Amino acid sequence: MYTDYNANDKKVKDYEKYERMIKTINKRFKTYGYERIKTPTFEPYDLYAEVKSSINRKEMIKVIDCEGDVLVLRPDVTIPITKQLADDYMTLPHELKYYYVQDVFRQSQVDDENVESTQAGIEYFCENSPEAEAEVIALACHTLKDLGFQNITIEIGHAGFVQSLIEKANFTDRTLTQLKKLIQSKNIVELEPFLRTLKIEESLIQSFTKIPMLYGDPVQVSERAREITQTEKMDETLDYLLEVYEILALYGLEQLVVMDLGLINHMDYYSDMIFQGFVEDFGRPVLMGGRYNRLANEFGAELPAIGFACTVESLLEASKAELPIRRTPVDVSIQYDQQNLQTSIAFTNELRERNYTVISSKLEEQLTNPRQVIYQVELTENKYKFFYKDKSHTFDSFKQLLKLISEIKGGI
Amino acid sequence: MKDLTLALATGRTAKQAIALLEKAGIVFPDYHNKSRKLVMVDKTKKIQLILVKTADLSTYVEKGAADVGVIGKDVVMEAQPDVYELADLHIGKCKVAVAGFPETALEKNSPVTVATKYPLITKSFFDEKGMAVETIKLNGSIELAPLIGLSDVIVDIVETGTTLKENGLEVLEEIMDISARLIVNKASFATKTEDIEQFIGKLTEALEVEI
Repeated sequence: MYTDYNANDKKVKDYEKYERMIKTINKRFKTYGYERIKTPTFEPYDLYAEVKSSINRKEMIKVIDCEGDVLVLRPDVTIPITKQLADDYMTLPHELKYYYVQDVFRQSQVDDENVESTQAGIEYFCENSPEAEAEVIALACHTLKDLGFQNITIEIGHAGFVQSLIEKANFTDRTLTQLKKLIQSKNIVELEPFLRTLKIEESLIQSFTKIPMLYGDPVQVSERAREITQTEKMDETLDYLLEVYEILALYGLEQLVVMDLGLINHMDYYSDMIFQGFVEDFGRPVLMGGRYNRLANEFGAELPAIGFACTVESLLEASKAELPIRRTPVDVSIQYDQQNLQTSIAFTNELRERNYTVISSKLEEQLTNPRQVIYQVELTENKYKFFYKDKSHTFDSFKQLLKLISEIKGGI
Repeated sequence: MKDLTLALATGRTAKQAIALLEKAGIVFPDYHNKSRKLVMVDKTKKIQLILVKTADLSTYVEKGAADVGVIGKDVVMEAQPDVYELADLHIGKCKVAVAGFPETALEKNSPVTVATKYPLITKSFFDEKGMAVETIKLNGSIELAPLIGLSDVIVDIVETGTTLKENGLEVLEEIMDISARLIVNKASFATKTEDIEQFIGKLTEALEVEI
């Protein structure tokens, strides 16, 4: 009665892999002291319209409720969590550590990717401190390692670094968009000619053109970056990032971390340190995060925080290492004839009460479930039979059945 | 597993790129004009070369199927891939220009119909001029459009201008200069920084010799 294991249902296996991944993530987040929360699926559209330049409004899925109000399907989790918290607190009462695993909905206009994806992330509400920043990055690395990724790279940047330079010049929105695009694509070829067309100081041009290549070993990069700092704040930023890096070294993660001062996140709510994680042979970042101290200001509160999120579907796609996914076998399969329907139900119930997985079917049924089964039970008119591997026994009460099962279990 | 996967677009740029790579000491013995091979490795077996269609190249690099790619600036402008654009290779030089019959006036206020392979470039160019245009997206033989009255003008790549001349058209206005760029997948840059920097170093050295 052995049924082929591997010919099993792909849908079930895919889900199992997905679930296992979430379980691993859950477990790891918890060990760092995070507690799980959830936010509503439907959010008022105004919530996202309020927050300046956060999520592309065109990407959100809108619905109209019976009152005629426009709602959106949750396109992001950080904003609603911050909003919820801002409703309760004006300032931070104490540190707060939350995590979430839930679906977000965004419709990208170019890609035909899934509208729905599962986001797993943490939000750590606390004041700036290199220790907190480093712990969050350590958690990100730890999670990726748990998921079996080997070659992990975390790029660390700072939203305030380029911003300090930008503030020194008077750019129009249009110029700024273009400038950010050139920095994001590390397009040094066009960056300088572009800056030359603007009427800005020579020293600023020199600084901007060096930004994209401030990439690599944090100690070396920060040394090179000192040459282009224009304000005290920029120097402080570098000191701060180096401190974070030194603590990461204490976590034993210095090999995984590079500094990228040209890193600009498309989410404008980030205010200080930002980071993103990559794994080998996967073309996109698998996780992104950073500090967003000013987001709560939008809701009239002062709630500094740092967080990151990853998309479970991307992680699944990136994890090429085949996790040994096997479907859990059914413990007991009960087959009965018409007269024994009652006994079958009674036995099934009793076993399920004892946490055994049980499936039952009529004896003559042709389409039996192909899943692997450990114990087989046959209930016919005058005989109860028990099968395990190639042995069989007869029995006549539930007690005896339990005894048979426990004897085998004891023997294993 | 090869250290790096390089994508080249089949056609003219590929030939020039291969020549440049050779100067940089990266040789693909299996590559020759008439070969139909799509995947090959270099002598040191460190770099894998794949040949793809021009229009698909930025997708290959953006998705990480190739770590680096050589592609015309026109394609980068049009496809707007989320990649690093790290070097100008000074090959495959040409221009993107507005072309049409000699007497065509690009007057403001009159809606102009433009046939092009590059709707995005066209739109941003005419937007900047403050002109309303209607673009018609075509995939090839753009010169045909004004000849049969499908459009007033075209926006296309111009190399020598021979095709235009033979069809009685001429360049009305130049939009920008084009050359091949080296684009790099962002994740590859993070996980294979050293390999990529070495590769770019060799290429820029070869370029400097040329200039």
